[in-house]
Amino acid sequence: MRSVATLVGVILFLIVFGPLLAPHDPTAIDIPHRLSPPGEEFLLGTDALGRDILSRLLHGARWSLGLAFFISLIGLAIGTALGLAAALGGKVVDWAIMRTTDTFLAFPELVAAVVIAGLMGAGTWSLIFALSVTGWMRYTRVARGVGLSLRTRGYVVQAQLAGLSPLAIARWHYLPSLLPSLTVVWTGMFARAILGISALGFLGFGVQPPLPEWGSMLLDARVHMRSTPLQMIWPGLVVVTCVLAINLAGDALRDALAGDDTRT
Amino acid sequence: MLRVNQVWVKRGAAVALQDISLSLEPGRTLAVVGESGAGKSTLIAAILGLLRPSHGEITWAGAPVRACRPALVMQEPRSAFNPVLSLRRSVMEPIVASGGTIPADRLCHLCDGLELPPDILDRRPTEVSIGQAQRVGILRALVASAPLVLFDEPLSALDAVTQKHTARLISDLQCEEGFAALIVTHDLGYAAAHGDEIAVLKSGRIEEIATPEQFVLTPKPGYCEQLRDAALALGALEAAA
Amino acid sequence: MIMGLLGFVLRAAVVLSGTAALTFALLWNAPGDPAQAIAMARFDALLTEDVIDQVRAEAGLDISFWPAFTSWLVPLLSLDFGNSAVTGRPVWPDLVTAMSYTFPLALASLAVGLAVSLPLAVLAAKRPGSLVDRCAVAVASLGVAIPAYWLGLLLILLFAVKLAWLPAMGARTAAHAILPALTLGLGVTASFTRIIRSGILEARGQPFLPAIRRRGVSDRAIGRDHVAPHAAIPVVTVFGLELAFLLEGLVLVEVIFGRPGLGTFLVQAILARDFPHVQAVVVLTALIFVTVNLLIDGIYRVIEPRIGERDA
Repeated sequence: MRSVATLVGVILFLIVFGPLLAPHDPTAIDIPHRLSPPGEEFLLGTDALGRDILSRLLHGARWSLGLAFFISLIGLAIGTALGLAAALGGKVVDWAIMRTTDTFLAFPELVAAVVIAGLMGAGTWSLIFALSVTGWMRYTRVARGVGLSLRTRGYVVQAQLAGLSPLAIARWHYLPSLLPSLTVVWTGMFARAILGISALGFLGFGVQPPLPEWGSMLLDARVHMRSTPLQMIWPGLVVVTCVLAINLAGDALRDALAGDDTRT
Repeated sequence: MLRVNQVWVKRGAAVALQDISLSLEPGRTLAVVGESGAGKSTLIAAILGLLRPSHGEITWAGAPVRACRPALVMQEPRSAFNPVLSLRRSVMEPIVASGGTIPADRLCHLCDGLELPPDILDRRPTEVSIGQAQRVGILRALVASAPLVLFDEPLSALDAVTQKHTARLISDLQCEEGFAALIVTHDLGYAAAHGDEIAVLKSGRIEEIATPEQFVLTPKPGYCEQLRDAALALGALEAAA
Repeated sequence: MIMGLLGFVLRAAVVLSGTAALTFALLWNAPGDPAQAIAMARFDALLTEDVIDQVRAEAGLDISFWPAFTSWLVPLLSLDFGNSAVTGRPVWPDLVTAMSYTFPLALASLAVGLAVSLPLAVLAAKRPGSLVDRCAVAVASLGVAIPAYWLGLLLILLFAVKLAWLPAMGARTAAHAILPALTLGLGVTASFTRIIRSGILEARGQPFLPAIRRRGVSDRAIGRDHVAPHAAIPVVTVFGLELAFLLEGLVLVEVIFGRPGLGTFLVQAILARDFPHVQAVVVLTALIFVTVNLLIDGIYRVIEPRIGERDA
């Protein structure tokens, strides 16, 4: 849990303070300095419009990481609520929710996101909608699974006998036990959201220029691959680093939880 | 008073309880004995309304049992408490849920009666011994003055010394509080020593309902007699006989 | 067994019709004027209201939701996907052409993935914690984190731009498929290596193996009879998940390498608001997905008889 907490701290720091560290205005066009190589003034060079790549990357954290964070939390909220409703709400509710989940899972999430974002018209809100709508199913499955296993647990039965309302039971007796496994799912979904945002940005369906989003930066850089290949390296490197760090933190948490299970 | 009238319970295709009838007055204790799989836990679940009987009815004072807020003491005290909440929160749950209050000294008084140190309620379930946890479980059952308390193997997770002690505390508190107790156990000695009546359950049927004296001296021939002889051979019935 | 299969087919039917209905509702409610987009794609020029209205009528966009839904769904039941709103040509032949680019690429990347991951995982699992093992784990972690579009660009940069060994754009020759297949293959390799490696390790930890070994059964026989079948189970499971990854990767890789497959087909159809094309790709994808999962479920029941008992 500590690795994930540290990671969340670093990412929130990047989202909040990243733009403040930027040496230049990320959208300031500077044609005389276009496509300059890395140097003293522009540490990572400039893009085709002479914008400082380092500054764009730092500002981009707010879009690529911040949006991914937001989207993965929306998925967490929707998915957990539906999963618990399926576990606690009786057979009909369970059937309806799980068949809906199956339907949403019966399609590659990113392809669905491309279709949805593309049809809604490119833009940040379409992006958020598309990735949230396709990003809740894993939480639902896990929440329902754990929820079902908790239903016959002693303290849940006691809470029912005490006459606690279903909402209070969900809040006090289900959520705390769900938290660790949901956090593992969340790390995976957070990483997927980062990849999804940059993929949609790369296809031109995501955050629109001139906003500095990493995927759309890659799209810009692609045209000038022959002359300034480095320009294409940076955004990808940042995405890979973030996704790798999140995945490793998630793996560590999963291993720690598995260790807990074997001990008790 | 508890009335169980010709109750049948089905679990899937199998019949878990057949034609069960019994009754229990306030202040009295009914011990239900039987081997594993005889239907003891199903009986408790049915009385608490967690399982719906396919036939027959279960009432307390003419109304559904759940209306009287019955309490349950579980076999495994550890899993009966949410590991992340303090024991005080779990114990107060029945009071909080009904929106009521209790006299300030009732908790202390009950803690005294159960020989629990006063600060124990601020600990987590994992920070107390099994015996203490079980007594906190009894405390939770009694705190809202439930008129009917069901005990599901209340002693079997405890060691021998703690078992005797806890059994005595339960009967002392029953004298004081006057609740009706239904104790499910496979321990004939405990049933005979503390039950006003013993119901023998086998394969979902009641074989016999008898007083401890009747059961020890003149059990119904067949299963009940075998059961009595086995318990005598083990020396489990000495106290009662 | 038969009942289980029937139940699964029924579930697949529910899922498929759900996908179809959702897609249609989404298309119908998408913001913007689709007729305008179609007209733009068709004539590639700014247009008058009359032309747009005419396009609207031709594309069947001037009726209300339910008639439109039924007039799409009923032919679909006999696998008739209708005509393109942009070109007016039947959808099916164009779809088949697109598939003829996509399926070989998908198979090639699976082949690359298996060919690399299987030996790598077996070598790695031989001595957990060794240098080979740690490298394999690192490759696996990295491969999952690298987005396909970036990897594709890097490969183009290295092999097409710097070394000029391989062609990058288009799909004229088989050589054009090498870089796309490598791009997708590395992603497949990453997750396969992970799963096979931990599958072997877990299978080797089965509690009865030491007893068998003491009875004098050779390591080779143990590997063949007890480790391999057990390790195969998670591999089959992950295959279903891998399919999603493949289809997602295909969209991006086809766009990067300019291959006229299903992914490019889909992206162009979305941009042109060519509803029959979008619907066709979506329904086809769902169909592939459900079918493969049906097959996997079948294989699963054969190699792991316990599953059938656990969930029906």
